[in-house]
Amino acid sequence: MSRPAAAARVLALALGGLMSIVPAGHADTVAAADWAAYSSRFVEPDGRVIDDGNGGISHSEGQGYGLILAAMAGDEAGFDRIWSFTQTNLLLRDDGLAVWRYDPRSRPPVTDVNNATDGDILIAYGLSLGAGAFERPDLDTAAAGIATTVGATMLRRYEGRTLMKPGAAGFWEQNRPDAPVVNVSYWVFEALPVLGELAPGADWDGLARAGLALVAETSMGPRHLPPDWASLKGRPRPGQGFPAEFGYNAFRIPLYLVRAGITDRALLEPFRHGMREADGSVAVVDIASGRATAKLADPGYRIIPALVDCVLDGTRLPADLAEFQPTAYYPSTLHLLALAYLADHRPDCR
Amino acid sequence: MKSVLLALAALGTGAGAYVALTGAHLGTAAPAAEHDVMRPLSWSQGAAPVVRTNFRPAAGETGIGHIDINAPIRMAQAAPAPAPAPVAPAAPPAAANGGAAPARQVDETALRFFARQGDTRRLEAEVARLRALYPDWVPPDDFLSVPAETDPLLDAMWQLYAQSRYAELRSAIAERQTSEPAWTPPPDLLDRLAVAEARVRLVNASNLKQFDTVVRLAAEHPSLLTCAEVDVLWRLAEAFAGTERMLRAKDTYLYVLDTCQNPSERLATLQKALPLLPRADLDELLARERTSPDGEPEFAAVRDDLARQSVATGSEQADAVIAPDDVAKVEDLARTGDTASDPLLLGWYRLLRGNAREAERWFRLSRDRENSAEASQGLALALVELDRPGEAEAVVYDWRETSDEIRAVYHAAMINLLAVEPPVAIEPSVLARIVGEIAETRDPTAGQQLGWYAEAIGQTETAAEWFLTTLYWKPDEERAAYGLAIVRSRLGDEAGVAEVQRLWSGRSERIARLGEPETERTRRLGAVPPPDGTVAAEPSPSVAVQPRVAETARPAVAAVRPAPREEQRPPRQVAAEAAAPARRAERPAAGRTPRGCSTGFVAPDSLAPAAALTRGWCLMELNRPMEAAAAFAAALRGGSEETRRDAAYGQSLAYLRLGLADQAAVAATQAPQSQQRVGELNAALLAQRATSAFEAGRYVETILALDERSRIVPEQNDLMTLRGYAYMGLRRYGDARRIFEAAAATGHRDAMRGLAAVDAAKRRY
Repeated sequence: MSRPAAAARVLALALGGLMSIVPAGHADTVAAADWAAYSSRFVEPDGRVIDDGNGGISHSEGQGYGLILAAMAGDEAGFDRIWSFTQTNLLLRDDGLAVWRYDPRSRPPVTDVNNATDGDILIAYGLSLGAGAFERPDLDTAAAGIATTVGATMLRRYEGRTLMKPGAAGFWEQNRPDAPVVNVSYWVFEALPVLGELAPGADWDGLARAGLALVAETSMGPRHLPPDWASLKGRPRPGQGFPAEFGYNAFRIPLYLVRAGITDRALLEPFRHGMREADGSVAVVDIASGRATAKLADPGYRIIPALVDCVLDGTRLPADLAEFQPTAYYPSTLHLLALAYLADHRPDCR
Repeated sequence: MKSVLLALAALGTGAGAYVALTGAHLGTAAPAAEHDVMRPLSWSQGAAPVVRTNFRPAAGETGIGHIDINAPIRMAQAAPAPAPAPVAPAAPPAAANGGAAPARQVDETALRFFARQGDTRRLEAEVARLRALYPDWVPPDDFLSVPAETDPLLDAMWQLYAQSRYAELRSAIAERQTSEPAWTPPPDLLDRLAVAEARVRLVNASNLKQFDTVVRLAAEHPSLLTCAEVDVLWRLAEAFAGTERMLRAKDTYLYVLDTCQNPSERLATLQKALPLLPRADLDELLARERTSPDGEPEFAAVRDDLARQSVATGSEQADAVIAPDDVAKVEDLARTGDTASDPLLLGWYRLLRGNAREAERWFRLSRDRENSAEASQGLALALVELDRPGEAEAVVYDWRETSDEIRAVYHAAMINLLAVEPPVAIEPSVLARIVGEIAETRDPTAGQQLGWYAEAIGQTETAAEWFLTTLYWKPDEERAAYGLAIVRSRLGDEAGVAEVQRLWSGRSERIARLGEPETERTRRLGAVPPPDGTVAAEPSPSVAVQPRVAETARPAVAAVRPAPREEQRPPRQVAAEAAAPARRAERPAAGRTPRGCSTGFVAPDSLAPAAALTRGWCLMELNRPMEAAAAFAAALRGGSEETRRDAAYGQSLAYLRLGLADQAAVAATQAPQSQQRVGELNAALLAQRATSAFEAGRYVETILALDERSRIVPEQNDLMTLRGYAYMGLRRYGDARRIFEAAAATGHRDAMRGLAAVDAAKRRY
């Protein structure tokens, strides 16, 4: 069993048998042609992963996704260019974590030294996948450095649980009246046990348990969906200063759950009903009213409820979602992650 | 190609030197003794004299991360063979990484490639690096004689390396390893690539002031620390200085001076150190000065700058102690040179230190060389100090439109000219332009002063008109009302006098008491009796008033100094500054100039209220608001109503400058203030509140505070920008865009940046 697979089992045990034990994320689950189409569109020769939906900037999240997808596609050359860029341009912080944003049009391209914890987690996870796929222990060393800092500084005890601080600055006590504010989609569930192996000193199991509980606790409103940003001060509420929406961040929650092998019906059911509109598009949902503030037809978004259909009911994927065509960085990333899971675990749905 | 060979020949003794940072990270086994912990990286250049320096850790320095940066840094120059050698021989990186270190063939492919490319800089760096790694290695005489590279793929890789396309090179190596499993990349290529990436990363971290990262990378890649990469050495020194490790910063600069030969880089090293190191350390660096081939001391320019910097400090801080040598040096430069800036510096220096006569001399010299706004401003101030306001008026008239500050100086000059006692005859053309300026700017202080001047030269009716006009501009201008009452009385207009007295009933004691016996009036007006206790000799009313008015109007020297040139600053800092009301506005008579105010510690409670008030203003001038607040508090505990009012005002200004909006609000309520002050304080308080709310991420409060403020005063660009960012924080991108557009339309830089930020911030972030 590959190490991520073993790690997934650790997570399963930690969660008390809540889900079936499914290994996820070993190499060669992303088709070479799909990855080639993705990387020729969204990865520059210098290894910068471009968020074309956000004005062509880059960020730690995108570099992390790039590493993960390259490792799963077995493309060492592509992996190495992304890693080189990530290391030289983002892994600059004194604490060893990545600055979160890189804008090539700005001089210098980095203007804010804050980190985004999910970006750090995705990078560490991607490095660890690369270490396994390409037999490169040096990548594990780099991953362990990041995981250790995340474990020591971003995992915080709050009211008896271990939570994840979304970034070094902001979000937590003293920074804002509604602290702590969390982003449940920053819990990359499949990565947590892997980071736990890399940095055993921190309470990764507790973090996973708290994250899973938060998916349910922060779901609210007529559609019973979690907001992108939730304040946990008192009763969970949407975080102040953020749109009170189930939006682009939170779309990822069911994807991350399924990819980690968590196929619990009670957890997943509200997502596929809440996020899907009658016409099949995926909705950005205003939490309080339950109204759709935007409807998105991109296959990369639509595949998420379809993935839930598959794991809960064995429903086959609609034909237009089974084929990958790059559209925009973010939905295309989600699309590849969903297809990779299906290829590996539910070929019957494709 | 000749240049390549020449460059090689010119490679000096220091080019291959390393600065060795200690590193537990480099060791393969836990070392037993300290000198083992440190692998004192040596470099070998036989020609250099043996200079071995061992540095002890600076007291109080703390380590970072897992790298034992607390252990001594050693920068050692390895001796040629015969030297006694406590310094271990340098191990190549392979050994440091845990592998064995077999004697290996020196890989010269990179050298050959760079030689063929004519890439002198990289060729030099590579020679330096190889020399450091392999002390016994002797560079070939002519790289071009070596047979050409026969591996085109490898050649392409070196090409990528030469173009700094490191990510693509990584990719190319991985690709070839996949397609040709038998191929292994030359270790030299991998080493160089790792070092090159580390260099880019170090520079990026340095630009973001991530100093621990800089130090860590330098420690991990000691081969970066050579004279060939002097920029890296400078950045390392800056990182040490930025993390309070001054001794290490100094040592790093010293290392460059002891080792590196390039004259312009040596000079630049001093210039880099100039703003970072204390003077004593800089002097130690200067001691490494050499004489250049043309016989000039190589750091002459820096020595001059150092003296200028010192005098500049002395021209801004009244209590700074400046070495007489520095002043003498700048005076020498000012006399022998032909720049306008050196004498200007000396002018400000002398002016702040109360020597207006010397100041006049230097400002004149500067102005003769270049008639600038600043030199004219300084000269006018000096002349006002010297009681020659007529000359001051003439000097600064042409520059009055340049800035608000210079306009204030012009007004000070003309007000003082009008206040000269006995009145001087002012040339009609000068008087005409003074009248024009006052009418145009509607300056109430100047307006009433013109009234007193007219009164003094016997134009009583004109005087009445000016007092009336002034009251029209500023209805609560008591000095004008008093003047009006006096000239009406002189004109026999008793009804007019009574009208003024009625309107000012309860607001001005001296207006109410007009017509009472003189002696009684003067005493009650608060004229200070002479030390013998007798009442002052009887002055005429106008004489009694005028000098005091003139005093009031004379601006403090420090307050009208030109502000330092503003760098680009983020909007919140600009907004914070906007929170402080104009310092010069309505300065109370007592708060004049820092001159004569002792800068040592004085217990505020030991002072009488009036003295405490004076000291408060003085401390404000010196920008010591914390102490000023205490002095104002002492003044608030007693004293006249006016003293208490001024003290409360001063205390709120002091708290505002400290960023303590709540305390400022409380202080403002301790004594009733004029309408104008209330408005000014409220605006400042609300700006401060908006700024702190923004910094705390409370965007709704930010906007509420700004809304409230905009009902009092118009919103200036920096606060509009703050408002824009607050809207962004609330994801109200449409509103943010509209605000940024409005501010950007006036050319406001931060607003333009805000516009770009709105466009970038979309969906998820």
